[in-house]
Formats: sequence, C-alpha cells, structure tokens
Amino acid sequence: MNSEVNAKATPASALADVRVVEYTEMASASFCARLLGDAGADVVKVEPPEGDRYRSHGPFPDGHPDPDWSGMFLYLNANKRGVGLDRRDSRQNAAFGDLLAKADILVLGGQSAEIERQGLRRDLLKHLNPGLIVCAITPFGLSGPNSGYVGDDLTAVASGGLSFATPGVPDGVEDPVKEPPLTANTPLAELMAGVLGAAGCVAALLVRQFSGQGCEIDLSLQEGVAAVMPYELAHAAYHEPKKRELLGFALMPNVYMPCKDGYVVIMAVLEGHWRSLMEAAGNPDWAELEVFATARERARNWDALEPLLLEWTMSHTGEEIARLAQERGVPCFPAYSVGQMMESPHVVERGFLQELTSPGGQSFKLPGHPIRMGATPWQSFRPAPRMGQHTAEVLRDWLGWTEAER
Amino acid sequence: MNPSTSSGQAQLPLQGIRVADFGQVIAAPVTAQMLGWLGAEVILVETESRFTTRVWPPFADGEFGINQSGGFNLVNGNKLSCSLDLRLPDARELAKGIIRVSDVLVENYATGVMENLGLGYDEVKKLRPDIIYMSLGAFGRSGPFKNLTGFHSVINLFSGLAAVTGYPGTHPRIMGGLIPDAFAGCYGVLAVLEALYHRSRTGEGQFVEVSMTEALTGMIPEAVTEYSLTGKEQPKTGNRDERKAPHGVFRCLGEEKWVAVSVETDAQFRALAQATANPGWADDARFVTLAARLENQDALETLVQQWTAGQKVAEVVAILQAAGVPAAPVSDSAEVLADPHLTERGFVAHVEHPVAGRRPVLSLPWAADGHRVDDLRPAPTFGQHNQWVLRELLQVSDEEYERLVATGAIG
Repeated sequence: MNSEVNAKATPASALADVRVVEYTEMASASFCARLLGDAGADVVKVEPPEGDRYRSHGPFPDGHPDPDWSGMFLYLNANKRGVGLDRRDSRQNAAFGDLLAKADILVLGGQSAEIERQGLRRDLLKHLNPGLIVCAITPFGLSGPNSGYVGDDLTAVASGGLSFATPGVPDGVEDPVKEPPLTANTPLAELMAGVLGAAGCVAALLVRQFSGQGCEIDLSLQEGVAAVMPYELAHAAYHEPKKRELLGFALMPNVYMPCKDGYVVIMAVLEGHWRSLMEAAGNPDWAELEVFATARERARNWDALEPLLLEWTMSHTGEEIARLAQERGVPCFPAYSVGQMMESPHVVERGFLQELTSPGGQSFKLPGHPIRMGATPWQSFRPAPRMGQHTAEVLRDWLGWTEAER
Repeated sequence: MNPSTSSGQAQLPLQGIRVADFGQVIAAPVTAQMLGWLGAEVILVETESRFTTRVWPPFADGEFGINQSGGFNLVNGNKLSCSLDLRLPDARELAKGIIRVSDVLVENYATGVMENLGLGYDEVKKLRPDIIYMSLGAFGRSGPFKNLTGFHSVINLFSGLAAVTGYPGTHPRIMGGLIPDAFAGCYGVLAVLEALYHRSRTGEGQFVEVSMTEALTGMIPEAVTEYSLTGKEQPKTGNRDERKAPHGVFRCLGEEKWVAVSVETDAQFRALAQATANPGWADDARFVTLAARLENQDALETLVQQWTAGQKVAEVVAILQAAGVPAAPVSDSAEVLADPHLTERGFVAHVEHPVAGRRPVLSLPWAADGHRVDDLRPAPTFGQHNQWVLRELLQVSDEEYERLVATGAIG
C-alpha cells in the first residue's frame, strides 16, 4: 500500500495530493503553509538544526518551556510533517533539492536579502521542477527600491498605514500629542500575509492547470497590511486622509465609551435606533430635549449629551447595555476580554476553539479555522511536528529513500 | 464581446470563471474584486434601496454622488454592475438567471436575507448544482449571535483583538482601518480558490462559510492559549514587544510624524548605536543584552526618541536601514498611496474612473512573476452593464427588457 495515504486528510480535502515544502524564519510563511495543510495539502516543514524560532515562543503548558509545546508554534504548524535538514551540509542540501523536485509549492519567509543569499529565487530552482510554485513572503517584497530593507511585523503595520489609523473609529485618539500610532500585541501583519500567501498559492495551482508552469509569488508584509484597509486609503484617494483625533461625528451617538465594568460601543444615529436606545435607558426626561432631537443636533450638542449618556452607561455593565440595546435592534457591543470571548455561548456553540491536552494533562486551546467548507471540511488531522519527527518518513514517501540511504 | 475581457492577456488563474457578487459594504466586495483581478468575470448585483458605500463618504473631492464614492470604488474594481431591485419577484428571477450562468456566488448580507430573497444555498444549488456559494457573516451563519449587526468596531471588541491592543492597564483600543471586513474578505478569496480547485478535479461545488469574528480571533492565538492555560488575560503592551527592544514608534520632525524601529538582536542594537553616533550605548550595561534592554526600556526609548526628534522620518529610515536596523515610516494613508516603492512594485496604481476621474487604487497584494493585474479597470457606475448582462448574457428580449425597466425591476 502506498504509504502516502496516511499523510493525507480524509475524506475529501480541497488540496489533497498537493505537496508543499515550507522553509522559513517568519510566522507569515508558516501560517501560509499551515493554511494549505488545513485544506489537505501534504505540507513538509523543513527545519534547520537550531529549530524554528517559534518553538521557544510559548505560551507553554505545564509551567516549563518545551520546544514541542510552544502555543505559537503549535498554532502556526498544525497539519504539517516535520523534516530536519541542514542546508549547510551538501548531502542534506541535495535532499532539500530533491524534495523541491517533487513539490508543487515552496513557501518561503524571510528578509529578501537572505532569500537571495540562500539561492532560493525561482529562477535558480526551476531547473529542478518547472511546475514549482515559489511563494516568497518578505517584509518589503523581492523588488522595488526598498526591497533590501529589513523589517518585521511592526515595520509592516507602520508602513502599511495601519498603525497611523489606530485607534480606529469610533475610538479615536484623545490626545494626539501624547498618544502615538499603535499596533496590537500580536503579529497582525504576519498572519494577514499568511492568508494572502495561501490564496496566491492556490491561484497559482489553478493557472498551472492550463499553463503547466509554476511561478514566483512575491508578497510583502507591508502590502498585506495596506490590502486590508481599502476604505481608509479611499479617504486619501478621493478626498482627504482621516486625521488622528477623537472623531466628532456629524451624526451621534456613534461612540465608544466607558460603562460600569468596561467599555461599550453604541451606534444610534438613525432616529429609530435613538428612540430605542432611550427606551433601553428608561426614557429619561432629557431624551425629549429639543437639542437632542436629531442625529445632527446630538452631534452639535454632544458636550451636553455625553455626560447624560455616561450616567446611564456607568450604572450598567457592558453586557446589560448590549442586551437592552440589542433587544431593541440597536447596534451595541461591550469590549470583551479574551476570556469572555472564549467562554461566550456563541464561540462555544460554534465550536470554534480547538482543544489539545498537554503531556502533563493540561487543557490547551487554540483558535480554529474561520473557513467552513461543506464538501471539503477542515480537519485538524495532525498536530504540529516535533523537531525532525517525520524526516525518515518523508524522505521515504517523497524520495523513496531507504534507511540505508539516509 | 464581454466588456470585461480584453485581448492579449496572459493566462489568468480564473479565466472563464463567472462570479455573481451580492456583496455589501467591504468584506464580500473585497473577495469578489480579488477574484476579478485573478481573471474572473464578476457581476455585481446591486439594489438601490440597499445602497451602502455608494452613499457613504468619502466622495470625490467631497461632493456626494453614487458613482464617486471612494469607499465603493476602491473595493469594486474590475466588476460589471447590474442594477436589480431585489424586492421585486421579476428582479429576483433575473438574479437567478445570473446565478444559473455563474460558477461562484459571494454574499455578506445579514444572516437570512439571501434565504428570504429565495437565493439561499438550498435554492441556488437547484439552479446551479456545482456552484461555489461563499457566505460571509460578521458572526458566521450559526450560533446565538448570528443575527447581530457586526460593524468593524463590534468585531474588534468581540474577537479579543481589542483586548490585546492598547497600553498596560488601560482600556481596549479599537484597531483602525476597518480591517476585520477586508481581512475576512481575504479568507473568502482563499476559500473560493480552494473550492474552485476542488471543483476542477471533482466537478463538485459547495457551500462555504467565513466568519469575520473567527478570522480576527485567529489573529490572537497567543492570547487564546494563555487564557486557556492560566485564566489570565494577555497583557496589553502598547507598541512594545516582549522579545524585542527598542520596539516602538518614535516622534520625528514635523506634525504627526513618527518612525517605527524594531531591534531584536544584539548585533542590530550595536548597529543602531553606531548609526545614531552613540557608540557608548553598545557598551552600556543597561543595554548590552536583550534582557537588559527589556528591563531598561524606558531609558532606552527616551534615548532613541531624543535622537529621532530633530530629524525627518525619511532620514531616520535611511540611516537605520543602511545599518541593517529594521525601521520604517509610520505612514498615513496618503503616504501609503504616494509611496514610490509601492508604486514601482505595481501595488498602488491609478485608474481613470468615468465619473471620479483618475484616482489611486490598490492592485492585487501579490505579484506572480512580476504581474499583478495587467488589466486594472475602474469600479462600474450603477447599472453600467445592464445591457450586456441582461440582453447579451441572459438573452432577455427587447420587449421584456423595456417592461422590466418600466416596472422598476431593472434599475
């Protein structure tokens, strides 16, 4: 029996029989390859002897670092097989080339200069395999005046325009002199690029069906960030860029404000929504005031309205306010902690979070997959590999090597 | 000839694929636009009573007009517009006609709207058994919150992304750029492409669901894991990183001008010290190791800030990058569109819109062998392609077409 059968997702997967090699020092490329694995591709993660940087990242269960149980590593590398190869060793580098000869896709992530230095541009690899698709994710791209720049998630979020735009509507910057542009405490740009890279790879598989040729996909973290904020860019393209300030909207309330136990966002600019909001607030006397009669008036007289509305929000929890407003069809939501989100009936009922058990028996959760496909459902069929876990297996399956040849 | 094709193009991934686009606002429109850039013929089915971005600012030069909204035009390029009043049964029949000749349908109406229009997956697959139906919902199409309105702020606040954004001990901050919408739209592209690849090998279509909140929660794996292990919330760290220092944005010369600097290794830090003409930093016990730099971030950031304060952003970036130190401008949206690097790479391009004039647009966010979109076209005006879609493609007779215009089903 063909041993490859064991390496595939079952029953049906969109990318069954597609072979992927991943070689990267960036989360973006790992996530890209993981998404291809999620769709059923046979993904081989090639790691140098020093191991992937995210093996030491954490968070770790059982209270101690373990390279096989780093939360970030497990998230980025599920549904892959692990192969340890040292490209500095000529025989092992030859094996790397042999894997590429059998692969459909090579996913790379790193500084552009490093990809050049390592000889991993497609022009240098296509003699091995004319059908090979090379997807290179780099901070600033493989071409253009800044391609030699070094960067990371922060430089991408900054140069892609997202940092300047944060905090966003209707949060806004209270004091632009004191508060600089902001990023999140998570690798946003890397994960965005991973999704786009996976899309680029599948698009390349589709075109290869008629052309028979692979191609080189050049994707930058910077462009991945700008690509997810077209509306922000539209302001600059069509009229004037948004300023960094606490926005005084022409229509109110469209606000993010404190409540008894946190913060809520309330949007009640439509007159029906406003009346419903006031009903939720118990129809206070001031609701009838002429100065708050329309959304424009409420914006003009926001200084008077804000303290009144605050009095109501500060006497209720975010959940209470959201329930009172949502029952009446008013868009409103509290700022959830990560724990509130994870334990919310919505997330629980949809079964979005994936649960693993650590060697020490601790329960361990990771986000699941945001794509649900009817005919080719997502499967978490393989946890992230231990260092070199599948080296022999993959060299046998892909290259037909026997134990003696290793 | 189909107005979406031009001669002499290279082979494209989605040539011969037709997409029926029932997208609203940003998310599904972004999906469909990207499918169009990849070579699909995208027919946007629009209803005037349901206008969103067409009637929202920004408008070209600040003047209202349904064909000159930047928010609409930047997410609907390379599409054909067919204006149908989906409240009317005749219009819904025409929509079914479009679906019958389409390979893909994308939609992100509120949960249940497509079903109420008779255009849910169960109905649509009777019209076109092998269709790929991509349904994108703020909270997804199941679960207790499936009917909640999901503005980007709500998605930020629910998903946990806001909970890891902001300064230590302060309130959750809402990420800017309306990113949940377009990011979920990118997952939509991946989902459709995977489904098309599956269909190309098996002939089988399918229903595909994407949830905006789940896409965003997928961006905070560390916080999810941390909470599951310890019951503790991942701390907000402002612009700081637990594994890099200095790591932040620093004020430069001018109003609202900042530079982002990120130093991870000791070698990068020594290069920073040399490049800023502060060789003493490299030997300073407070900064020699990453652990020391993390411990003394306040002092280190003050020193870096003093160095950047009197200089232009571009100068700081050039000096640091020449030394191999990761640095980049904190660009506003006008600066992103004017970035010569992005223009030379073809990511920022310009198209001539018949009403709005020549405007910058974004192109495909990756290049394949240097090519992005060889035939980048402006967003359609409302109903611009009714004639082609209804008369040529669906073969509606002249007489019937006139009747449908008169009843308001078309237009």
